[in-house]
Amino acid sequence: MADHSVHFDVTPDATALSETHPPTVRVPTGTLVTEAARLAGIDLGQPCGGQGRCGRCAVQVTGGDVRRRSTLRLKQEDVAAGYALACQSVVESDVTITIPLQEKIERRLTTERTAIEVSVPTGYSAAAQTMRRVAVQLQPADMQDQTDDWSRLQSALRRQTGIPSLSVSLPLLRRLGGILREQDWAVTAVIETDTWDHPADAARLVDLVSGHVPDHAPLWGVAIDIGTTTVSLWLVDLITGAVRAQVAEYNGQISRGEDVISRIIYSSKKNSASPLPSGEGGLIELRDLVLKTINSLLATACKRVLADPASVVKATIAGNSTMMHLLLGIPCESIRLAPFVTAVNHLPVLPATVVGLHIHPEGSVDCLPGVASYVGADISSGVLSSGLDDAEPMMLFMDVGTNGEIVLGNREFLATCACSAGPAFEGAGVQNGMRATEGAIEEVWINNDTHEPTFRVIGGGKARGVCGSGLIALLAELFLTGVIDRSGHFNMNLSSVRVRRGEHGPEYVIVWAADSQTGYDIVITHVDVDNLMRAKAAIYAGFTVLADKVGMPLEMAEQVLIGGSFGKYINVEKAVEIGLLPDRSWDSFKFLGNTSVRGAYLALLDRAARARIRDIAGRMTYIELTADNSFYEAFTSALFLPHTDLSRFPTVQAALAQNPKNLSKEE
Amino acid sequence: MPQVEIPKDSWSGSVTTVTLGATAADGGTRSHTITVGGHKALPFMHFEQKMAHRPLIALEIKDHRPDDWSPLLLDLWGDAANDPASWAKAAESAGADALVLWLSQNGTDGKPTTPQAAVASTKAVLQASGLPLLVFAPGQAELDNALLVPISEATTGERLVLGICEDKNYRTIAATAMANGHLISTRTPMDVNLAKQLNILVRDMGIPPDRILMDPTTGGLGYGIEYGYSVMERLRLAALQGDGNTQSPMIVTPGAEAWKTKEAKVGHDVPATWGEWLERAINWETLTAMALVESGADIIVLRHPESMRRLRAAIDELMSVPA
Repeated sequence: MADHSVHFDVTPDATALSETHPPTVRVPTGTLVTEAARLAGIDLGQPCGGQGRCGRCAVQVTGGDVRRRSTLRLKQEDVAAGYALACQSVVESDVTITIPLQEKIERRLTTERTAIEVSVPTGYSAAAQTMRRVAVQLQPADMQDQTDDWSRLQSALRRQTGIPSLSVSLPLLRRLGGILREQDWAVTAVIETDTWDHPADAARLVDLVSGHVPDHAPLWGVAIDIGTTTVSLWLVDLITGAVRAQVAEYNGQISRGEDVISRIIYSSKKNSASPLPSGEGGLIELRDLVLKTINSLLATACKRVLADPASVVKATIAGNSTMMHLLLGIPCESIRLAPFVTAVNHLPVLPATVVGLHIHPEGSVDCLPGVASYVGADISSGVLSSGLDDAEPMMLFMDVGTNGEIVLGNREFLATCACSAGPAFEGAGVQNGMRATEGAIEEVWINNDTHEPTFRVIGGGKARGVCGSGLIALLAELFLTGVIDRSGHFNMNLSSVRVRRGEHGPEYVIVWAADSQTGYDIVITHVDVDNLMRAKAAIYAGFTVLADKVGMPLEMAEQVLIGGSFGKYINVEKAVEIGLLPDRSWDSFKFLGNTSVRGAYLALLDRAARARIRDIAGRMTYIELTADNSFYEAFTSALFLPHTDLSRFPTVQAALAQNPKNLSKEE
Repeated sequence: MPQVEIPKDSWSGSVTTVTLGATAADGGTRSHTITVGGHKALPFMHFEQKMAHRPLIALEIKDHRPDDWSPLLLDLWGDAANDPASWAKAAESAGADALVLWLSQNGTDGKPTTPQAAVASTKAVLQASGLPLLVFAPGQAELDNALLVPISEATTGERLVLGICEDKNYRTIAATAMANGHLISTRTPMDVNLAKQLNILVRDMGIPPDRILMDPTTGGLGYGIEYGYSVMERLRLAALQGDGNTQSPMIVTPGAEAWKTKEAKVGHDVPATWGEWLERAINWETLTAMALVESGADIIVLRHPESMRRLRAAIDELMSVPA
């Protein structure tokens, strides 16, 4: 048999090339490119185990050619440009092969979440937001000028800022004289110049410290998103606008119910431990739980930058309507009962002490406005941060959380609906689910023949559990490799030790106890699969019904903007394969990360952005799915992999046809 | 009378043609086969398309005398109900088009039916009657698999209908049906989407469409029949519009449903206006079945021969309308 030379070129910066091996090897006809690469000492990633399914081993043939057994992963343009899948390509002549950077390939196949680095809005000036820090030197009081301390401070501030009058609290007045005299009448004041509900003549002295704080010292604010499952907090320097710490944690209320409905029910429960009148114990308890979560996040974030939580002067909060009511201790029973109304959508700016946040006692809490019972401030602020309200073409915005909220529209109109997806995509309510933090499996591939998995763990260490993006990938892989059928039932006839009957029925073992961080097997159970199926079906049904109601086919939306607490990234392909996202060009999806907290951040920084959120909340047309028979129909139809109407998912059908293993023959 | 132009629908899809039973020529032992389905229009719309095959009426028999059937039925079948062979003969002479042998969960000894007993009952019925046969297992996943696999293997080539495949329990039944040249009957609980989904699942296993019957589930008259009717009507409309996953012929079991109702079951302490018990029970079964025939049922499984005669007379009339 003839030998051929295979010369490898490695894109600069690639670390894959070992120095000890020559980049040219001689191999016999019929050798796979991956084998040739291995001989050349080049480590090509093959997450799917060389089955030609993941596309990670794409290489570019720059001299000669190879025989491509499969090009499943490659576009026609790619093949024309010389690309080939190393694990599916056979050497039959002398060739030169260029190995592209691995990251570039990953980027092509998955859409990177863009939320990791937050950039300060261009042209940001501290004057755009409502908290203003002013250093002043007062004329000391003497026998000639016996003006009272407060008037003296006010006139000094008036001279410097032009603000005609200020209000002040009694606790601050009590400390006023001492602060003024501490450093010879040199003080720094923090003034809230205006609020959205009092845009004029409402300036208020928030804080006063002795001496002059340097101009560049940070002035702290926080942007908070209270999700049903996850609470996120960004600590922001209002002077520069920069986000200095981002923290997130599960909402402490989870132990009292996983979705908003069970929280509302719990909130109206009596609580024997509480002396409160009936019907308020649960509400107070839930309020305390979320405050505890927020205050502990606040402490964590502040610790990271060595700031004092009591120096945070403003909090801007987004969250769904139920979360907002529970935070403020406002009874929310009416959200659950027809005709489904909230107590309040547009909340006044509130003092931190009244709300219970452990920021500066005189700090302001600005709760962003919601639209309706099930479309809250998280969506108003999400629309702002996605830019949907200002877009020329039609766009679809979805916030994938415990509730899936969907907005369809552009600058002309905005229509919205909400569907309860459950907490599965946030890694909660799933046996080995977890948030997308270190130790979480975020990507999974399962071998078609052996049903053995390969996976990637955030942080690279041993796995502790599976996060939302990992669960999506896992569901897709279980389906494509025939471990589960289209309705999500496990195929117990498979001859794999990983498919077994566990405590909760059939399950698949992703990581054996010996290899896990927890010392227990990491599994996905039949119940987990059901939860994920229901979650994805609810979301898909939501946007089919919304599109029907608006009378526009989904295809008309030029882009699909996705927000939510997913991991580092979500694999679009996998999300399409399970029927969570519509089957359309991958380029049209854009992942925005947590759009709700980002919207709160923008509103914290800019009163114009705050006004725009108010405008968005007013513009959105809410479509109530519970008043709509077509939702249930759409839901059961979507409760299948990828969907009962297969014609909606042509590329998934094509992939299945190429990979008939999943079509469950008996083994 | 003014002349009225009757609009005619023309459909792009059609119902799959399915043949039950195999004669000696085709590797079975049935005296004849029966073909259902093939429709290109809604039922009895002869002016649009001649109805390809008329609905078939099967009578349900058991592997031994059931203890939960109405005394009206047990009195009627008498000693014939004591063993499946004599019951099959009696049902054939009563005029059934086909037989459904619905296996009991327990034998006469109170223990779960054994595979040996189930195979013996099936073979006895096949010997006693030349009619095409449907064999339904009791409805408990593990037991069903344990009974149907040996039956399927012992009757290779007969083109029996094996049932009932449900979403959690279809693999084994579909696999053995394919391996031994039988048909399957699938059942889903009154929902168009669920019916389509199960159809996709069994076809994913490789079973050809002409070996699949679907049971969309029905309720007795007054017990949800309108819901079942609507689901069947929507399935048939989807089939005619070309949705390949709704094109299986539909099988329904109004006999079992009607005889569960209080109106059919209870003979005393009911208002006098309810009328005579037997007549009422037969009416209940007949009217339940009639509605389903109108909504597109292809195979109707009944329990009482008189209901069968009345239903057949009605179908005769519907079929005889000139084209």
